[in-house]
Amino acid sequence: MQKILLPKILLIDDEEDIIRVLSMSLRSDGYDVVSALSGKEGLDVFKKESPDIILTDIKMPGMDGIEVLKKVKNIDPETEVIIITGHGDIDTAIEALQYGASDFINKPVRDEALSIALDRAKEKIDIRLKLKEYTDDLENMVKIATEEVKRKSDFQIKLIKSSNDGIVATDDDWKIVVFNPGAERIFGYSKSEVIGKMKVVDLYPPEIVGALKIEAESKRNNTALPWREVTVLSKDEKNIPVRFTGTILYEEGMAMGSVAFFQDLREIKRLENELINSERLAAVGQTVAGLAHYIKNILIGLKGGRYIVDVALDKNDTDKLKNGWQAIKRNIGRISDLVLDLLTYSKEREPEYENCLPNEIVNDVCELVEATAMEHHIEIIKNFDLSIHEVLMDPRSIHRSLLNLVSNAIDACTTDEYTDKKWQIHVKTALEKNNIIRFEVKDNGSGMSDEVKANLFESFFSTKKGKGTGLGLLITRKLIGEHKGKIDVTSKLGEGTIFAVQLPYEELSNTDKIAARI
Amino acid sequence: MGKKVLCVDDDPDIRLFVVTVLEENGYTPLTATNGKEGLEIIKKERPDLVTLDVLMPRQSGIKMYRELKTDDSLKDISVIILSGIARRTFLRSQEALTEFGSENVPEPEAYLEKPVEPEELAEMIKKVIG
Repeated sequence: MQKILLPKILLIDDEEDIIRVLSMSLRSDGYDVVSALSGKEGLDVFKKESPDIILTDIKMPGMDGIEVLKKVKNIDPETEVIIITGHGDIDTAIEALQYGASDFINKPVRDEALSIALDRAKEKIDIRLKLKEYTDDLENMVKIATEEVKRKSDFQIKLIKSSNDGIVATDDDWKIVVFNPGAERIFGYSKSEVIGKMKVVDLYPPEIVGALKIEAESKRNNTALPWREVTVLSKDEKNIPVRFTGTILYEEGMAMGSVAFFQDLREIKRLENELINSERLAAVGQTVAGLAHYIKNILIGLKGGRYIVDVALDKNDTDKLKNGWQAIKRNIGRISDLVLDLLTYSKEREPEYENCLPNEIVNDVCELVEATAMEHHIEIIKNFDLSIHEVLMDPRSIHRSLLNLVSNAIDACTTDEYTDKKWQIHVKTALEKNNIIRFEVKDNGSGMSDEVKANLFESFFSTKKGKGTGLGLLITRKLIGEHKGKIDVTSKLGEGTIFAVQLPYEELSNTDKIAARI
Repeated sequence: MGKKVLCVDDDPDIRLFVVTVLEENGYTPLTATNGKEGLEIIKKERPDLVTLDVLMPRQSGIKMYRELKTDDSLKDISVIILSGIARRTFLRSQEALTEFGSENVPEPEAYLEKPVEPEELAEMIKKVIG
């Protein structure tokens, strides 16, 4: 703006008088005036002084005004050049305008015409300056905005790069365009091996490709696939466990690509395995300790029996001999049971379905334990559903499971601290809907604490202080599971326990039915 | 009639074994299957010695031992602990009970870990009560 208040004017004319008069007149109007007496000198002064406006005569010896105009416009097209023409020299004036002169005035130069031409020139300079200011402003704003966008995008790039998760993005043709270091670690490919060279089918397992393609076809916006655990194949053909989620990216309703996130689960899996291993080792330790204790007790029984037999033989004491022999036989029985338990526990076994009478099996179990129950003043009350007929089930599974449960019920009574109770064990069978038979063993013995209940089906957990293997319920549950059945327990400390087993059965075939009737 | 020895053990095999050892060595055997029954027999029969198992249902040997040794009329009866658990574990359980404010009880006269040989048991009984 300062420049416009005092524009510098270059006067070029070969007539010294005209220069002198115009200079005086312009200076008095407040312009800064420089001058030259020829076109050539005028150009030199122009280069040195950089005037805003040039006033040049058109007819000069040597370089004329048109030539000066062309050269000036060549150097600085924004310089305002006003041509002074002879009176009526319209053709030259038009030529000058064509070459970019801003205006022309006729000789003799009248002050009024000159000041109008100068005002117009100043106006043009003014407008141009303002325009330049706007443009500069705009450029600045664009620059600032660009920097902001760049900063944001840099931030996002850094975010993607530094993410621990593998991030893989594709274009709308499933070609991979983003492959961050996290993805490099998981897949084992470098960025340069993947970007622009691989498609999702080359990298993702088929189930993920399928899920993404289905998602793309559904055209749902902004829905990410739920996290799922999958295995991806790395470059060196290793199976890498990962958690995956992905989403389709849309731009104005059109799918523009996809992005997938992979969490490396190798470390987690490794820790999990370590935990499982250490738990297994601890379990093995407990198992061995528990079994050793149990076997030690059997050994004590056997040694005692041997001693009694020795003494009896020495003295010819038949009664003592019988007692000692009983002790030995009892402990041989305990070893057989233990071995059988261990075998049952360790082997997968398919139930062997046979025609059988469930009530009879349960009755056999009750008879087996009757002597022990009577010894401890425990009453066994049987309540069998007589509508249960011969069915197809595994009689051994029923026998084994029920014997375990009834034996446990007896133990619950013999270890009960409330000795003034009248102990009872109810053994019940019932026919239920959908080919299921329910077996129930209910005692009013010691009951179980919450801690015992929580550990009930843990391997080798025993409350019987070295007198149990801790295998009983475990085997019971295993047998029931193999028989596609269910076992439930309700118990209250000091009040008793109910074990309920539900086992499915199959009807006999017709021939079997006829055979059964005969 | 020899001196009376009470065997407290829930395991019939152990009772039979101890009874035989006692008979062989001229003692009069008595038996009980748990701590509660054991104390009843002690009060009635006043035995000279008790062999006591530690882990038993209803009333453990740990509890019965304390009751016996804190009863002025009974505390002079000798006790041999005969157990599957280690002596250390039994003594620690007694220490723990003492710490929790119960009366301090003396250590048992003898402690034998199962399995025990008949000669060993006989010798120990002889050493304690003659």
